[in-house]
Amino acid sequence: MKAEIRKIALTVNGQQMSIDVEVRALLSDVLRHDLGLTGTHVGCEHGVCGACTILIDGESTRSCLTLAVQADGCAIETVESLGSVSSLSALQEAFRDNHGLQCGFCTPGILMSLCAAERHGEDLEETLTEVLGGHICRCTGYQNIRAAIEAHWAKSVTR
Amino acid sequence: MTAETGIRRPYVGQSVLRSNDPKLLTGGGRFTDDLHFPGMLHATIVRSTLAHGTIDQFDAVEARAESDVALVLGPDEIASATGMLPCVWLAPDQRMTHIPIVSRKVTYVGQPIGIVVADSRAAAEDAVEILDITFAELPCVVDSEAAIAPGAPLLVPEWGNNICAQVDAGDPRDEIEEVIARAAHVVERRLRIQRVAPNPMETRAVVARWDAADESLTVWMSTQTPHHCRDHLATALGLRADQVRVIVGELGGGFGAKEHLYPDEVMVCLAAMRLDRPVKWVEDRVESLTATLHGRDAIHRARLALDANGKFLAIHSDILGNLGAHPSNVGLGPFRVSMGMLPGPYHFERAGGSLTAVLSNTTPTGAYRGFGMQEATWVRERLVDEAARELGLDVVELRVQNMIQPHELPFTTRTFQPYDSGDYPEGMRRTAVAARAEANVTSEGRIRRGLGFATHVEFTGLGDSRSQQIVGFSLGGYETAKVRVDPDGSVSVTSGVTNMGQGIDTGFAQLTADHLGIGIERVSVRLGDTASAPYSATGSIASRSMTVGGGAVVTAAGKVRNRMMAIAAHQLEISPDDLELVRDASGRDVFQPKGSPDIALTWEKVAESAWLNWNVPDEFNTIGLEETFVYNPVSVSYAYATHAVSVAVDLDTGLVKLEGYWVTHDVGVMVNPMICDGQVHGGIAQGVGIALYEGMRWGDTGQPTTTTYLDYVLPLSVDIPDVKIEHMVTPSPFIPGGMKGLGEGGTIGSPAAVGNAIAAAIPEIAGSLLETPFSPSKLWTMIDEAGLHV
Repeated sequence: MKAEIRKIALTVNGQQMSIDVEVRALLSDVLRHDLGLTGTHVGCEHGVCGACTILIDGESTRSCLTLAVQADGCAIETVESLGSVSSLSALQEAFRDNHGLQCGFCTPGILMSLCAAERHGEDLEETLTEVLGGHICRCTGYQNIRAAIEAHWAKSVTR
Repeated sequence: MTAETGIRRPYVGQSVLRSNDPKLLTGGGRFTDDLHFPGMLHATIVRSTLAHGTIDQFDAVEARAESDVALVLGPDEIASATGMLPCVWLAPDQRMTHIPIVSRKVTYVGQPIGIVVADSRAAAEDAVEILDITFAELPCVVDSEAAIAPGAPLLVPEWGNNICAQVDAGDPRDEIEEVIARAAHVVERRLRIQRVAPNPMETRAVVARWDAADESLTVWMSTQTPHHCRDHLATALGLRADQVRVIVGELGGGFGAKEHLYPDEVMVCLAAMRLDRPVKWVEDRVESLTATLHGRDAIHRARLALDANGKFLAIHSDILGNLGAHPSNVGLGPFRVSMGMLPGPYHFERAGGSLTAVLSNTTPTGAYRGFGMQEATWVRERLVDEAARELGLDVVELRVQNMIQPHELPFTTRTFQPYDSGDYPEGMRRTAVAARAEANVTSEGRIRRGLGFATHVEFTGLGDSRSQQIVGFSLGGYETAKVRVDPDGSVSVTSGVTNMGQGIDTGFAQLTADHLGIGIERVSVRLGDTASAPYSATGSIASRSMTVGGGAVVTAAGKVRNRMMAIAAHQLEISPDDLELVRDASGRDVFQPKGSPDIALTWEKVAESAWLNWNVPDEFNTIGLEETFVYNPVSVSYAYATHAVSVAVDLDTGLVKLEGYWVTHDVGVMVNPMICDGQVHGGIAQGVGIALYEGMRWGDTGQPTTTTYLDYVLPLSVDIPDVKIEHMVTPSPFIPGGMKGLGEGGTIGSPAAVGNAIAAAIPEIAGSLLETPFSPSKLWTMIDEAGLHV
């Protein structure tokens, strides 16, 4: 059973590329397994848990509910586009300083949703409720995620 | 990875930032599904779609003909190539003690019956669709009370019933009955704790690679217990243990669900051996909800007896435990722990329980955070609240007056738990003072408010080995640490426990740096590889990593330090008693005679000479700077906590909102308070899920109906309030370092506290708040039946 293949153009974390994908392939699987960007995690594959969240043309999107071919011509940003181990972004620093992660599996998706919220100028309340509300974390009880968001919004986010 | 720099010793007691966070925050964590090897194939497990029946036909001719399908193994091929998995914790006279990897008899939806391996996961899933499998269906039973009713469908017909084992605990039944018979007041209730799924965000995953030339199997897997999995893989696959290496990368949560080897994981390894190619299998969420072990599912018919003054006389529960389709690795364990921990922090003249554990056509139940203690706390603390309500007593005062006093510790309970240390009444009082001062308990219109309490003692740090033998638990209760200072002065630590997201590696680095007396930036902790980690049959379960594992690290580090000191003293020609290890003004770790800072030997210099074996004391009978210490604790250690929660309940919707949460917790010495708080927060959130939202359900034909996150509801941020934690610190009297376990306490206390808060808010329905979860629809119905909708 060979699936139909189609060539798509993507800009992933600033890098332009053209790749062949199965038309049925999920964007999450293409990012992880074809492009090796394994920072995007897959938690439920039905769009509820939010672990797979990435940015497509700046909008936070569930990559497990998106076919790769739907992203043809789009700019994609994943957690790998944020800071590095030796130079964390301000948001990543806030998560580390506030113990906003434990196992770290849900964390990349949360970070990407927060990136979009920050760029869109969402206020703290909206971010804590609507934006964080799109993510399931089983380890932290959310308290320290909220603390990280509060710290980052207080320090770095300009309205 | 090394921890952050800049913090000065002692590190224990400081919120040192976690060493692997930068990796996790940048997408650099290596979870099992992140691995890729050349030539790797992808597996899908074939699962039973029936709750009960036999496989008449497993025809894979069409699937095998697909060009992208590499292998299909059905039940007969797998059965002939694999041995049974032994159950590790056995009850006396348990009727089923080994689990086959596969069987033509199916007893639950989701049971693995075969494996398909193909070029991609999608191709493997396609091939499963064209397998021709036919079943002969049998009547099924999912509910434990139905399973013991006359005429129930039988999972093992030759047994004549569905009872796998029965166990009593505590005082003799007749003595308990005698005390209850003469009590002035008896509270009796039927309480139920629902079936829940552990739901680590990372599902189970395996990558298996067989090296035919070397005849060795390397398995990367998401597990809390790598050595245990290695041993059982060898048993199931007919290999020697030394032929199998299990490696754990990043673990996306475990919560008990990943504490043993599953049959489907064996199938993946078998496929890799057959194909001589790497094979990856990653469980999807539907599989995780149906084929990964569940927790809870117990019915308690429990009684609390009091005298006329509110003094507790006896507690007893008849427990009906649902094992699911077969006893898990831990079998009756959680239900037995419920009996053992039923007395909690209170005095009783007599206490005990009687357990009947049954099979049913459901996913097997096993370890899940709280392991029987959450259930025991739910039962006991609801009964205590009901007693207070019926007798018109204060819920806090009734508890405090019945508690074991600090001067009575150590104290062995009527169920043979040797409580070690602490001050239970003080914890209760502190929580009550804080919560009562801050909680809003004023009802407004159709919004009712209430404040609820629950208190518990927690069994942590599984060991010692002798006690394990007494209860039939085939796991060594010890833990081993290996600490090595390399010639350049860097320090490596390894242990048999694993990092499953809790941050144990950072805690071990703190302990090691303190007990060596050096900067934490020198220390790296590597866990989870059976080729390098010391043997541990038990791994990271039972809130034991920091207690038993930490106790080993403390001792091993101390021994290495003594070696370093002896070498430095020898070279400086002074007594070790006259030597100190300090960090000098330029930030170097140096040995110097006390009071003579001008004479110094650097840490690196001593390390180098030790490995050269130059200028070392003549009496040294080993070379180098590596120490291994096996720590077998003299006993379990007992943490304790009191929880309080304030709730607002909307009478018109049945929706419960948690408005405030207070905990006083004593886990002995806190190595890293930030991590300790995080464990409590996360544990509470899982307990709130049990109290209000979560639950696996099945239809009459045994089909699970909660197989996605749209149906199985987990708590979100809005559901979990900020928790105010107060710490008491009573060091463990026997664990080196003084730590007690804390991974599970948050989950143990919170459901009962929430239940009691709802009872306080709506006393009209308090007597029927007996079965979690209290979903809006369930509460609305209870509120309606109480006549509160007008």
